[in-house]
Amino acid sequence: MVQGALASFASLRPSMAIRGVRSLSSRFSGSQRSLQNVRKASPRAGMPRTLTVAASEEYDYDLFTIGAGSGGVRCSRMSAGKGAKVAVAELPFSTQASDTTGGVGGTCVIRGCVPKKLLVYGSHFAEDFEDSEGFGWKMNEKPDFDWTKLIASKNKELDRLTGIYKRLLDGSGVELVEGRGTVVDAHTVEVDGKRFTAKNILVAVGGRAFVPDIPGKELVITSDEALDLPKMPKKICIVGSGYIALEFACIFNALGAEVHVYYRQPLPLRGFDEEVRGFLAEQLALKGIVLHPGATPTAVEKTDTGLKLITSDGEQEADEVMFGTGRKPNVKNLGLEEAGVEMADSGAIKVNEISQTTCPSIWAIGDVTDRINLTPVALMEGMALTKTLFDGVPTEPDHTNVACAVFTQPQVATVGLTEEEAMTEFGDIDVYTSSFRPMKNTLSV
Amino acid sequence: MGNKNAKPSPYDYDLVTIGGGSGGVRASRLAAADGKKVAIIELPFDPVSSESTGGFGGTCVIRGCVPKKLFVYGSHFHEEFEDAEGFGWNIHTPPKFNWQHLMAQKTKEITRLNGIYAKMLNNAGAEIFEGRGKLIDAHTVEVTDAAGHKTLLKTANTCIATGGYAFKLPIPGAELGITSDEALTLPDLPRKVCIIGGGYIAVEFAGIFNGLGAEVHLVFRQELPLRGFDEDVRAAVNENLIKRGIIVHPKCNPKSLAEASAGTITVETDSGQLTVNTVMFATGRKPNISRPDLGLSEVGVELDHGAIKVDAFSRTNVNGVWAIGDVTNRVNLTPVALMEGAAMMASAMKGRMTKPDYQYIPSAVFCQPPVASCGLSEQEAVSNGHTCDVYLASFR
Repeated sequence: MVQGALASFASLRPSMAIRGVRSLSSRFSGSQRSLQNVRKASPRAGMPRTLTVAASEEYDYDLFTIGAGSGGVRCSRMSAGKGAKVAVAELPFSTQASDTTGGVGGTCVIRGCVPKKLLVYGSHFAEDFEDSEGFGWKMNEKPDFDWTKLIASKNKELDRLTGIYKRLLDGSGVELVEGRGTVVDAHTVEVDGKRFTAKNILVAVGGRAFVPDIPGKELVITSDEALDLPKMPKKICIVGSGYIALEFACIFNALGAEVHVYYRQPLPLRGFDEEVRGFLAEQLALKGIVLHPGATPTAVEKTDTGLKLITSDGEQEADEVMFGTGRKPNVKNLGLEEAGVEMADSGAIKVNEISQTTCPSIWAIGDVTDRINLTPVALMEGMALTKTLFDGVPTEPDHTNVACAVFTQPQVATVGLTEEEAMTEFGDIDVYTSSFRPMKNTLSV
Repeated sequence: MGNKNAKPSPYDYDLVTIGGGSGGVRASRLAAADGKKVAIIELPFDPVSSESTGGFGGTCVIRGCVPKKLFVYGSHFHEEFEDAEGFGWNIHTPPKFNWQHLMAQKTKEITRLNGIYAKMLNNAGAEIFEGRGKLIDAHTVEVTDAAGHKTLLKTANTCIATGGYAFKLPIPGAELGITSDEALTLPDLPRKVCIIGGGYIAVEFAGIFNGLGAEVHLVFRQELPLRGFDEDVRAAVNENLIKRGIIVHPKCNPKSLAEASAGTITVETDSGQLTVNTVMFATGRKPNISRPDLGLSEVGVELDHGAIKVDAFSRTNVNGVWAIGDVTNRVNLTPVALMEGAAMMASAMKGRMTKPDYQYIPSAVFCQPPVASCGLSEQEAVSNGHTCDVYLASFR
């Protein structure tokens, strides 16, 4: 498979490794702009100016990317930086993802990591105000919170970021084509009726929030809508126990809503260390979130005053019902099957260790491959692919020991194996746990 | 238990520790919990240290890490109140800060912790002596209590863990200035404060006073604060101090202090004059080798640049006498003292010679925003002969 891949771009220009000046003070310094680490390469001695003509006369582009999210943007601009002729197709911007809307920056920037974190910060101030009293601060009245103001500020920031991402692409010489990109064949992409040929195609279309097929599913919101609600719910039911469900539970709870969380497992955050799961469940409950473990949702109904969630654990009325029940790869109607790209049952595009699909000239990275669905991983997969395609060095992204965090309140952070995974792999392990009262809490109570 | 033919020990104790701070308590309670006969000597509790006052818990708990951090937290809320507005919050009137409230809460907490340390030692089975400890010889420690009553303790091993004390520059009028000890017990927030020094204590207190509303002047001899840290980090810290409204006076040498009027002090420097309410010296800490007199010279314990000289196992040149923590001036951090205490206990009590490992010790400076580091700085790496690639990420 790898041999075939090498053969397919043997006709490309010779390897164009960035010849960094490796000296005592060689630096890759960041810029003050976006929320992601920006690496500026050191001077590329001896490299020709960025060409705007594709290396091969056979194709319009060396690389055509569908999807300008974390992975797609990273691979596209890094590849262009190596002299490749690159284009990327992305749907028009909207905070709500759909078959016809998306936006440069992708899930992370527009309706994921970034807005979520801003809301976590915004909600956390409630706790800061409470804590400040123990440290000598006195407020005459309780501060007021204006949800619409936070959402407006959040949206303003998203506009700024999507603009930055567009400038990043522009600045690296990547052509942005607005519209819905689909695969026509191994070397052809169509965007809203216009066709482009490419030596390589990268599919980086990400994923979408998934809601199971239950009666009343159309009444339910996902994280997309939660990030744009016109009004903050006074009471909300959240179905799911993954990081998205729990992060939003904490956001709404901290801002004063009554929050009920329903999940099938006995503990939330399946897949995490058991000790962490147990601790977090305890913390959520201490913060006033009502947990309903062992509950399966069966229907959602409209009532006079709002909605009603029906589960195996009973009924609950609320202003909103949010499902944080997973995200699925966005592979519908992309022309992938016809091009010979195989997908798993989940819909994830199957790729080998160097992110190549079953069609040798079509590659896939990020959430659409459902490997580790985190922005830094998509960035890594994108970087590795740039090396593979344009340095002539087949490079495998390394998916081991990926650090990640869950922004519940308090947060969870992990890296490496859980205790359970370590037991399975090694059998005999020593476990060290430290439990202590955070110093801040000695005075804040 | 033990060989019935073994000679009875000529000593009453396996270990006598002078100093109940981080290192001393750790070594002592581990030894006691292991069944050894342990005594630990510490001066009576007071937030301000002196020749006759200290307290279980030591610098870290009573007048260092712990109270400092509580004040950093307290001073940081001011920033949270400012930031909240952009996130949709409306704080109707600016919150008011009450210094005495935070001070009282802080004192309550360090007193509670001081009690816990004593309890920990008791529970482990160590014998507590309140008073001054002094070496009479390698196996005899004299304890003098508050009433002047002396007790002699015969011991197989002694561990000196008396820590360090804040040092003021010996300039005219230095007695008008305070150190971090007094800063953490001030009756009120000074309106204008001058901090002399560029190390972590200086920048941390600069952030504290500034965050609580004082006008802060920071005076140091170098071009940048935090000498010894990575140059990029020093520059970033400097910028952050200035951006937060702290008035930084680099390459500035203080010459003298003088009382200007009631409640104000004039600081004369080689570049001008400052008039403030409070002057705080954060000009280093020195090992507590003679405060009070430990009997080191009589017993022949060697010193090294004012610190007790020890080998890799924390042994002094005198057989049976060990030293750990800030009094040995190796890496003056609580977790390091804890490590040295545990290693010393294993070496002295269990016959398992254990060297504390000084590589890759992470540490933090709680200026605002904070700094954390681990391993070599860029400059150290280059001095060590490495060719380096440096990766920097700068983001909002």
